[in-house]
Amino acid sequence: MASPDVADVLVIGSGASGGAVSWRLAEAGFKVTCLEQGRWLDPSQYVTKDPDWEFRGMTDWAFDPNVRRLPEDYPVNDSASPISPLMFNAVGGSTIHWTGHTPRFHPSDFRVKTLDGAADDWPLTYDELAPYYELNDVMMGCSGIDGDPANPPRNPRPLPPLPLGPDGVRMAQAFDKLGWHWWPSDSYVNSLPYDGRPACNNCGPNGLGCYVRAKGSTDVTYWPKAIKAGAVLKTRCRVFEITVDSQGRCTGAAYYDGNGRIQQARARAVIVACNGVGTPRLLLASRSRRHPNGLANSSGLVGRNLMFHPYAIVVGVFADVSQAWKGPLGNILMSQEFYETDPKRDFIRGYTYQMGRSPGPAGTAVSWAGNFVPWGVRHHEEFMRRFGHALSLAVISEDLPEAHNSVTLDARLADSNGIPSPRITYKVSANTRRLLDHGISKARQVFEVAGAHTVMVNPILRQGGWHLMGTARMGDSPETSVLNRWGQAHDVDNLFVVDGSTFVTSAAVNPTPTIQALALRTADHIIRERGTFRG
Amino acid sequence: MPTAERSLTAADRETLRAVLDRLLPPVGELPGAGAMGLAEVVERNAQRSPSMRSGLLSVLDALSLDPGLHVTGGFQALKPEQQDEAIRTIEVSMAEPFAQFLRLAYVTYYGDPRVHARIGWPSRPLQPDGFELPPFDDAVLEKVRRRKPFWRRVPG
Repeated sequence: MASPDVADVLVIGSGASGGAVSWRLAEAGFKVTCLEQGRWLDPSQYVTKDPDWEFRGMTDWAFDPNVRRLPEDYPVNDSASPISPLMFNAVGGSTIHWTGHTPRFHPSDFRVKTLDGAADDWPLTYDELAPYYELNDVMMGCSGIDGDPANPPRNPRPLPPLPLGPDGVRMAQAFDKLGWHWWPSDSYVNSLPYDGRPACNNCGPNGLGCYVRAKGSTDVTYWPKAIKAGAVLKTRCRVFEITVDSQGRCTGAAYYDGNGRIQQARARAVIVACNGVGTPRLLLASRSRRHPNGLANSSGLVGRNLMFHPYAIVVGVFADVSQAWKGPLGNILMSQEFYETDPKRDFIRGYTYQMGRSPGPAGTAVSWAGNFVPWGVRHHEEFMRRFGHALSLAVISEDLPEAHNSVTLDARLADSNGIPSPRITYKVSANTRRLLDHGISKARQVFEVAGAHTVMVNPILRQGGWHLMGTARMGDSPETSVLNRWGQAHDVDNLFVVDGSTFVTSAAVNPTPTIQALALRTADHIIRERGTFRG
Repeated sequence: MPTAERSLTAADRETLRAVLDRLLPPVGELPGAGAMGLAEVVERNAQRSPSMRSGLLSVLDALSLDPGLHVTGGFQALKPEQQDEAIRTIEVSMAEPFAQFLRLAYVTYYGDPRVHARIGWPSRPLQPDGFELPPFDDAVLEKVRRRKPFWRRVPG
């Protein structure tokens, strides 16, 4: 007989993975409670409806919590990192702010040690994950087209690709002339009405939240279905400790409610889904007699091996491209010509190019290529030369795990409830730097062939820490990993992690479909083991 | 060091108007950003961003404390090329606060409907109307589709 106030599963965090795992478990009859420190947001209130949307995108609606400073955010000490971690706290988490560019890992990404003698292999294969990628594509609404020669075959996408637009066609033709791979991006952005949500209306900056709900953020995909299946989602609940019993097993979580009162949530199992920075922060903060170095941290690896995808941005400016701000900013095409290791190069592993369009007027003036349009007498001429005429290639580099890149608890900085903030310590490796330089050089070639008259380069994008990975890695050995192949803690059998923390290596693609596929797979493991986790 | 809480003085506002005119000078039928009345909007917007406000105050403090400017009667009394030189000195010596100030000036200027009209930006918010979404044309895939699969096979 289930106790009424004890959930089968407590999920902490309602973002990409928290939404997916909650839905899957609730559909299977589990009693699921999810605690989210943010709020429900109303898409009809997103900033793109406002005249000052660019100002708000740089201030109280920014990707960076240190800039945004909303009550539900926690500050991050990133002074020891050249890359700032970006995240969002609300129902839907960072999927509110993502672009929904959704490539998959390659089979080789799961075997980096075997193939390239670096890092580690994952304790699972691409083939094991493939069915969950397919399921997630259906749930989130994937626009795209099968047949990509750089990737294994996959099912027809639920929706046709988003249009390339004249700017995308131009870049595609440049890749064709060079004989280099490109392919229309898989995107969780509706190209047609889908699952009760309308098609994209091509407004542009979908990273600021999608007003029409065409973008698949989990507040409009997984969560309505999870709640219908019985999941309970509690907002404005900021967890500060995962609680354990005398044996060191999880009993639930302690949290501050919206009024600042301490509350307790009880559950038979706990799933942490707080992202690659928030999850190690919470585990490290959850010290107890049985777990003196933080929960599930007998290996000492919680918070270690932080991986971003260091980004370089290369921008080409064209005389005969115009109004390139029409259409989703980064859901056009990608190239994986240089994705795999080539022994002739001076680095291992590789990168993906993700094409981007022009930003709006203010975004053009402060240019994410790293150089503002100059002020003064030359300003207006230079502004008009760039505005609507610029296209970009983002070099998304594979970031290999290094133990010294880490998330720890800051000794001084804390959030509004006094919970210690995360401190990021991170260096770009020599391999990554060579990889990025290669990507910059080849991108210059693409822009030359495409007809750009000017090429601008940002060799490392500080505001580029969208992808947070590796800080509670999976593996077969409790000595060298935090979690087993199911995302289950080696040290605590009723504790799971389902966000990017679990990653063994980072691949060179946007990670969210992989995060969500892993979360669905973990859910199925829990369902199979239901006798252990249900009342 | 700027005091984040302090208000702008009348002298600060005069200086800010003059600085904005140098950063974003007249173009076409538009006067400079200061003459457009954007100093007030800059000041208002700065209230919404601690880092931009700090940048604004740092720049104004630097200009008001520059002994060379006091001798000559303040920033507004300088010749245009001298004003540019004074701004450039701050840009180099206080790079981060100046960048925040410039970001504030730019985002304010490019949020103004008169500027939108000049540069050809729609005179409405992006939503709810957006822009037309044309269908995907897969003819563009003809060449890349002919390529054989080249993803790396994994042993075992």
